[in-house]
Amino acid sequence: MEKAKKRRFGLIATIILALAIVLGLFWAQQTVAHNAKHQDTLTRVKKSGKIVWGTKADTKLFGLMDTKTGQSEGFDVDMAKAVTKQIGKQIGEKLTPSFVTVSTASKIQLLKNTNIDGVFGVMTITPERAKIVDFSQPYFPAGQSLLVKKDSGIKSVNDLNDPSKTVLVVVGTTAAQNIKKFAPKAKTIALQDYASAMQALKAGQGQAISTDNAILYGLATENPDYQVVGGTLTNGPYGAAFDHDQKPMVDQVNQAINTMKKNGVYNQLIKKWFGQVPGLDWHDLEVHE
Amino acid sequence: MSLFEQNFSVFLQGFGHTLLASIFALVGSLILGTIFAIMQVTNSRTARSIGNIYVQVFRNIPLLIITLFFYLAVAKVIKMTGFTAGTIALTLYTSAFIAESVRAGILSIEAGQMEGARANGLTFGQAMRVIILPQAFKVAIPSLGNQFINLVKNSSILAFVGGLDLMYQGNIVAANSFDTFTTYIIIGLFYLVITLPLSYYIQHLEHKLKKNA
Amino acid sequence: MSMIEFKNVQKYYGDFHALHDINLKIDAGETVVLIGPSGSGKSTLIRTVNGLEEIEDGQLIVDGQDLHDPKTDINKIRRDVGMVFQHFNLYNNKTALENIMLAPRLVLGREEAENKRIAMELLEKVGLADKANNMPSALSGGQKQRIAIARSLAMKPKALLFDEPTSALDPEMIGDVLDVMRDIAKDSSMTLLVVTHEMGFAKAVADRVIFMADGRILEDNSTASFFENPREPRAKKFLSQVEHH
Repeated sequence: MEKAKKRRFGLIATIILALAIVLGLFWAQQTVAHNAKHQDTLTRVKKSGKIVWGTKADTKLFGLMDTKTGQSEGFDVDMAKAVTKQIGKQIGEKLTPSFVTVSTASKIQLLKNTNIDGVFGVMTITPERAKIVDFSQPYFPAGQSLLVKKDSGIKSVNDLNDPSKTVLVVVGTTAAQNIKKFAPKAKTIALQDYASAMQALKAGQGQAISTDNAILYGLATENPDYQVVGGTLTNGPYGAAFDHDQKPMVDQVNQAINTMKKNGVYNQLIKKWFGQVPGLDWHDLEVHE
Repeated sequence: MSLFEQNFSVFLQGFGHTLLASIFALVGSLILGTIFAIMQVTNSRTARSIGNIYVQVFRNIPLLIITLFFYLAVAKVIKMTGFTAGTIALTLYTSAFIAESVRAGILSIEAGQMEGARANGLTFGQAMRVIILPQAFKVAIPSLGNQFINLVKNSSILAFVGGLDLMYQGNIVAANSFDTFTTYIIIGLFYLVITLPLSYYIQHLEHKLKKNA
Repeated sequence: MSMIEFKNVQKYYGDFHALHDINLKIDAGETVVLIGPSGSGKSTLIRTVNGLEEIEDGQLIVDGQDLHDPKTDINKIRRDVGMVFQHFNLYNNKTALENIMLAPRLVLGREEAENKRIAMELLEKVGLADKANNMPSALSGGQKQRIAIARSLAMKPKALLFDEPTSALDPEMIGDVLDVMRDIAKDSSMTLLVVTHEMGFAKAVADRVIFMADGRILEDNSTASFFENPREPRAKKFLSQVEHH
């Protein structure tokens, strides 16, 4: 009798403790979110003299870690550097860029927690995302496409509309929703990053990878047996992302991008990163105003 | 809470896959682990080395690598989904730890139990099954309990190979809702739904066996 | 007809020569007591008879089968040769009754009602019918040993080996165990080989006494002449030491 009581007490104590921990975490998160709201990004940037950018480390052509230097390199990284410099000129202060590697899944949380000031991270502008973050004007005209094995016979998304076909996507991208729209019978499997998706495609775990053409071109340059097919399913231009209600910061970034498009800096970066990609005419990406 | 309601069916699907993978791996690893534990205590040098190599290999390689091996390499020969690959890897990985727990349990049983049984005419297998293992499991229960709870948590490895489990669905919900924090709290609670009763049951079993001893 | 026969048997533990060129013949139905100082090899010798210890050389023929022949099925021999240990070795996870019924069920496939009847008879015989449902942990040493004897008898063995069955017992428990063993010895059909320090028991029941030292058989004599007039000086010395105890 005594023992049974003690045991029941132990169980109840365990449950209460678990609930207390969970509620505590919720509270902590609410507090963090609340405090973060009052922060103005541009003010913070001016005060610290630097802009902390989130960039990718696993995406060829946009943000890929150079194992020798430990620095990410790519179009996104160069854009972030150039925009930082330009904003510095605009506000008349010396600004330096600094970089934090973000994953597709973590980037928005990091913005919300003010661990980073902005993201240049192959991020498609969507209405859902725009409710939660502020986007700059588009800085790259991406669109969702397909990467398949050259001898697979798959020419377009219609060839994938079959229950026996699996399309590989990456967690946190909008690709899965679009595949459901264009090939509703196909299965989709989400993997952690593009390297895993590419390995899984090679292992036959799926018949295609679907994501932005810009990324697929990067994968195709490294894997000559594979090609980008089917044109673009959607228009999904990339924008730089910031925490919600950061109009002053976004205005500065938009102004900087406009200037870069006019003075040729933007086209230089396009040529630097997309000039050598097979199957892609980089002149299509140039801006002439 | 609206996040929870909106994605309830997704979470439930993940929960189902996690539960299924855990049950498969639990049963599988208990059987495999026991077989390799017995191999390690036989007189046959070959059986002992096979058992030993098996345990060392699967205990000392990260679970993720075993999982990717099945998902990316073995799947080229034998078609298997991420769920299957992950569950197999989880089974093999856990079985190595269970083999160690069961082996320690067997070694804690005095040699006289086996001698008595063999002298009584029982075969090695009969003696193991009826006399040694029931006593060894009793000794090993706290350590087996730890392995089982680790197994449930380790099943999140399935997320890396599209295994449709809780963590996989959580990653997707987190990425689509942009509310990473709340999502993972919900996911954590779902894991507790499996692990808390499991820990409680193991404690209960421990108490019960102590009383009988 | 001989039940157990050693022919030039050698046994080593690594470099240690545990049994030196053993030659010994025990007939069916004989009761033989094996004595000697500790470390003399008598336990090793008795454990070779049911294959708990393997021999390195020679022939050891038990019930017509050579244990040194790899083709011999040791499990078959163990059905017919029971053993009682110094530390009882009862199954700790089984009741007294289950300890007795297990091997007949698993090894002989004895029918359940018959199995239980025989087991209860044996419990009756060793005076522990009221302990049938006790776990070993709830039995005294002497009770455990009597259950262990009943367990061996349940297999209806041709031969029974006793390896110092009373050495681990408190003095007041020894009598009950020896009484049971005496009863068994009266049944002339069973071959008994007993390692013991109980000289009174040896005198009363043994047909023959074998004296061992340093892994060798030094004397193999009839019980009467061994105790009255041992041939070996070491046996003489051993007897005087044991009797002075």
